[in-house]
Amino acid sequence: MNQNPSGTPQPTLDRSDERVRHDDSLAAMAKGFFLRVRSGDLGMLPVAVGLVVISVVFSTLNPVFLAPNNLVNLLFDCATVGVIALGIVCVLVLGEIDLSVGSMSGLASAIVGVLWVNTGWPVAGAILAALLSGVCVGLLYAALYNRLGMPSFVATLAGLLALLGMQLYILGPSGSINLPYASSLVRFGQIQIMPDWLSHTLVLLPGLIMVGKGIRTRRQRLAANLSAQPMRALILKAAVLTIALEIAVFYLNLGRGVPWMFALFVGLAVVLNYALTRTKWGRSMFAVGGNKEAARRSGINVRRIYTSAFVLCSTLAALGGVLSASRLASSSQQAGAGDVNLNAIAAAVIGGTSLFGGRGSAYSALLGIIVIQAISNGLTLLNLSSSLRYMITGGVLAIAVIVDSLARRSRVSHGRA
Amino acid sequence: MTATLQSASAEREPVLRLRGISKNFGAVSALTDIELDVNPGEVVALVGDNGAGKSTLVKVLAGVHQPSAGSIEFCGKPVSLDNPAKALELGIATVFQDLALCENLDVVANLFLGHELTPWALDEVAMEVRAWTLLRELAARIPSVREPVASLSGGQRQTVAIARSLLLDPKVIMLDEPTAALGVAQTAEVLNLIERVRERGLGVIIISHNMEDVRAVADRIVVLRLGRNNGVFLPDSSSQELVSAITGATDNSVSRRLERKAGHAHDNNGGAP
Repeated sequence: MNQNPSGTPQPTLDRSDERVRHDDSLAAMAKGFFLRVRSGDLGMLPVAVGLVVISVVFSTLNPVFLAPNNLVNLLFDCATVGVIALGIVCVLVLGEIDLSVGSMSGLASAIVGVLWVNTGWPVAGAILAALLSGVCVGLLYAALYNRLGMPSFVATLAGLLALLGMQLYILGPSGSINLPYASSLVRFGQIQIMPDWLSHTLVLLPGLIMVGKGIRTRRQRLAANLSAQPMRALILKAAVLTIALEIAVFYLNLGRGVPWMFALFVGLAVVLNYALTRTKWGRSMFAVGGNKEAARRSGINVRRIYTSAFVLCSTLAALGGVLSASRLASSSQQAGAGDVNLNAIAAAVIGGTSLFGGRGSAYSALLGIIVIQAISNGLTLLNLSSSLRYMITGGVLAIAVIVDSLARRSRVSHGRA
Repeated sequence: MTATLQSASAEREPVLRLRGISKNFGAVSALTDIELDVNPGEVVALVGDNGAGKSTLVKVLAGVHQPSAGSIEFCGKPVSLDNPAKALELGIATVFQDLALCENLDVVANLFLGHELTPWALDEVAMEVRAWTLLRELAARIPSVREPVASLSGGQRQTVAIARSLLLDPKVIMLDEPTAALGVAQTAEVLNLIERVRERGLGVIIISHNMEDVRAVADRIVVLRLGRNNGVFLPDSSSQELVSAITGATDNSVSRRLERKAGHAHDNNGGAP
């Protein structure tokens, strides 16, 4: 169908309507980006702005903030809550919420401590048991939501208390279990760092994949008589990404380097991103989040989608709990308490996942948690009391939600829902 | 053409046969003892006043509502339509009056929703090509299939909804008020489309308040009134008959006006044999 014997240029299938503006040149792309932001499609912009502001403010107050080793510590901390935020993205995309992820992570860390240290299970078995507890809690929330119509807000609020109680119960009177320092789990959470060459090689991958996939898609689209992204733009994007990542890795390698735990978190984010954008399951998630009834009528099993999201969220929360146990080398009553819950939710929202459902991405958890942890790390460096830290983090969360609400209002008025 | 199609379809068994369908919402019976046959290659129009139960009947057939009583046969076999997925699987596609589209997704995603190609690695290129081809066949004026549906007009959304129902090669397609939100050209296009669908041997159920549209395409007109069957008409039956069947009254302003018109026509043609 793309054969064009006469040789005259024929509009491609998707370019035959003259009402659509096509952003081909770099200038037009920049303009398109500006218009998208104005219509409320903010994407990653709040994160970029946030990170710049945070770096400037904290590094002027305390130069240590930007030191390589401090950033390495920051990445270690990001991984634990970040994994929890990945799960939060899943439920937020559906327009639901899980308020019990903090307690779930605390329970998981307690399970690992009790089974592994106190009962003498192999560490892998203990971790598996912790993850299974997450699966069970997720299934319970899904059953409450699907069968009894209980709002996830209330169900998980009840879960927050119940799981916290369970955590305190299994930890027993001592309230704290130290994990052996020499164990591989604790080493993974505290010291294991990628070799320099490996981290430098790995960050080449995103750019290479982007170009490789881009060329393949381009060829397919041109063969199918569809317009394709210009090569220039593709290579420019990949080059900018690769250079930025290489510089970041180089800087981190001036300190200790890239933690394996952070690599695990990034790997999970990539997998979740693929699942959300390139699979039928992901498409169904966004459909259910956007219009539940429309999704049901087009034959999607809505209940199964809700179940998958709640289970995924609780399981990732449990994994986050295991990682935080390995990070702190202990399972204690404090694990998962305090601001873990809100940090995970705030990370997803700041990264651009809407609280109203139907919009979001796995990378929002990745970028959002870096913002949140940077704030918390910077405030710790300033030696501020926890009272002030809570107030500031609360303010940041409020701002993130306000930005989300305003952007949503703007999207509705610009017909981009 | 209608006559040949009807005689052809008369030999085959109806693709859809409803017997004694009732549906209660609490104390209200929305449908009572509905009988309906749809043959392959036949357009059946469901007409009736507001609240006559047309949309409820469509929702029963789409698997959205479950009937309180009665039986549904599809291609000669009794079936129960427990959920929308089941109805779609059997080959009953529906275009709902309240357009069931996800506004946050683009046109391609909406067209293929629930039936994406290659579920583990969505083939966006193939889906986009199929979307454009389908929209071309419908002569649809959708500017871009990669914009969220939220940016489309009502008529464009209707086109997307109809295109989606045809994607799965259904045996029966139901259209609930397909032309209500459309302009003149799009209405003609949708009516053309319905005829093309009929020629492909599909059974079509169309709900409309617009008698002109109904008579233009329907092979049979089934009138519902207060949730009950109230007569079956051929498209050449008079408007007066239809209106009185729909409203249940032989004497009202609409029928009087029609009578006057008919009387005028009769007077004018009085001299002719």
